[in-house]
Amino acid sequence: MAGTIDSGAPVPAGLPGRAEFRQLGYGVALVALVACLPLLPFANSYLIGIVVRALIFIALGQAWNVIAGIGGQLSLGHGVFFGLGAYGTGLLFNDFGITPWVGAWLAAALAGAVAVVIGAITFRLRGIYFALATVVISLAFEKLARFYFALTGGDTGLAVNFRGTAPAVMQWREPEAFLWISLAVVLAFYAVTRWLLRGNFGLALQAVRDDEEAATSAGVNVYRTKLLALLLSAAMTALAGTLHLQFYLSIDPGTAFGLSQAIQIQLPALIGGLGTAGGPIIGGAIMILLSEGTNVASSRLGLDGVDVLAYGIVLLLIVLKAPVGILGYIKSKRLQRSGRAAPAGGGD
Amino acid sequence: MARNPAVLEVTSVHRKFGGLQALSDVSFAVEQQEVVGLIGPNGAGKSTLFEVISGNIPPSSGAIAFHGDDVTRMAAFRRRRSGLCRTFQKIRLFGALTVAQNVAVAAQQCVVDGNWRDEVASALAKLRLTAQADRYPSEITLPDRKKVEIARAIVGRCRVLMLDECLSGLTRDEADEVVQEILGLNRQGLTIIVVEHVMPVVMAMAQRLVVLQHGCVIADGPPKEVAANPVVIEAYLGARHRPAP
Ligand SMILES: Nc1ncnc2c1ncn2[C@@H]1O[C@H](COP(=O)(O)OP(=O)(O)OP(=O)(O)O)[C@@H](O)[C@H]1O
Ligand SMILES: [Mg+2]
Repeated sequence: MAGTIDSGAPVPAGLPGRAEFRQLGYGVALVALVACLPLLPFANSYLIGIVVRALIFIALGQAWNVIAGIGGQLSLGHGVFFGLGAYGTGLLFNDFGITPWVGAWLAAALAGAVAVVIGAITFRLRGIYFALATVVISLAFEKLARFYFALTGGDTGLAVNFRGTAPAVMQWREPEAFLWISLAVVLAFYAVTRWLLRGNFGLALQAVRDDEEAATSAGVNVYRTKLLALLLSAAMTALAGTLHLQFYLSIDPGTAFGLSQAIQIQLPALIGGLGTAGGPIIGGAIMILLSEGTNVASSRLGLDGVDVLAYGIVLLLIVLKAPVGILGYIKSKRLQRSGRAAPAGGGD
Repeated sequence: MARNPAVLEVTSVHRKFGGLQALSDVSFAVEQQEVVGLIGPNGAGKSTLFEVISGNIPPSSGAIAFHGDDVTRMAAFRRRRSGLCRTFQKIRLFGALTVAQNVAVAAQQCVVDGNWRDEVASALAKLRLTAQADRYPSEITLPDRKKVEIARAIVGRCRVLMLDECLSGLTRDEADEVVQEILGLNRQGLTIIVVEHVMPVVMAMAQRLVVLQHGCVIADGPPKEVAANPVVIEAYLGARHRPAP
């Protein structure tokens, strides 16, 4: 919207308006399906639980995509912000009785503050220092969480004081409410991503990603732009961390700050399409399908390590066949067919 | 002819890259609405001088004044917002953004009064890029990409425009068209510094030439005088005997 200027020129081939309407139709149908899932005859807690896991996973992917996909700043330790969201919300509730409805925002603010400190120190340096700093700080937080066991529960982690079904403190015995909450979060994050791809701030951010020096020469305050994007991404990640905590009712240092968690956060966007709005959603859904499928395979058939193998194969396929993710691949194919070269990345 | 006040003043600028003295005691001034040609053999330091003036790299020592204000320590993005604008020798467009969005990024930051959308439309119109507005850089021709660089540089407040070899790689007709557009901008009040290797073009465009060699200013004056200057001739003949980079 903000970026397109009415030039009176015909809409270029390859991006017909009808396709967008069709996409919107699919999107609305999908959202309606997920929202109404509990009403369907075959739905049970197990199935709904899988969808909630997928939605939380997608939300994390969307949050990481903001700084890494749209901003081009590779965060390898996004678990920091996830962990701060989860631990922050949990500690505020257990120790101070602050409801997660409020605690979520306080924890997100804390994650944002940590993000600003990390960014302020590293964003004037080359990109690799930011990536390294996120890893180092993740590991430091993991150590802290293990060490201060009186506060955090140490290695065993933190368990949320469970009160049964109590909406006032974001607790339910059944997963339906989490389905709707996490669906709302995914939709909100999708809207944020769309805004970033089209709006003023997002255009500046994409310019920074594509060429920092050229962005500077276009008047963009590169440092501030990166800092704000990281702040936004960290706060979003922390909110997803709160969801995770309330759904599982516990968090431990490895799950929160560990590097495997950080890698998981990166996969949806990498698989689905880095820097796109739909990418993390598609990628997150595929990841959960894979993990469920391989769970079944390894428990029923006794095939250990199938999950790792399957992840490996999917990643390999992506790297070889679609380095810009599934959405990027589809888009470039569509553009090729209509005789246009693919843009260097990004898009919806 | 009454002397106009200097818009841009470069005073004793030095710049070192490790052991290499890329700029050495460079001083010159540019007046309002002047077209200055900055020439010199490959590696003379022309692009480095643009980098220093625009603030993308700091000088080792020396000062840059813009409209009488010392901007030596001013951040590059602030210099652009206040009207000190440049293009890049190697085209550097934002690949994931459309032509209009490339220009819009600068307009959102640099349009001080008025609607930035209107400014984008008018910058695209000035460079005859309107029909390409919704295309991506990878989808348009080389001359058009160079024109997008110029449009991005002039949108919003622009008082001094530094063009780094914006004609290289173009055919003569394409180059002529871009030159006409640049001269049109100049007639509207823009001060321009051009780095260009094609001498006839520079001679036709510039009212004054500044010649760099090994990072030093070896001549500064009207094109005819400079072209007849034996030191300049020697610099170019000498350069011709060096292997091409
Ligand atoms: N970032 C850098 N690091 C190290 N050396 C550099 C850097 N930039 C330029 N140089 C060196 O400084 C000298 C001047 O380079 P510069 O690009 O300014 O020359 P130029 O006059 O623009 O040449 P050309 O006509 O080839 O564009 C060259 O020897 C170049 O190798
Ligand atoms: Mg150069």
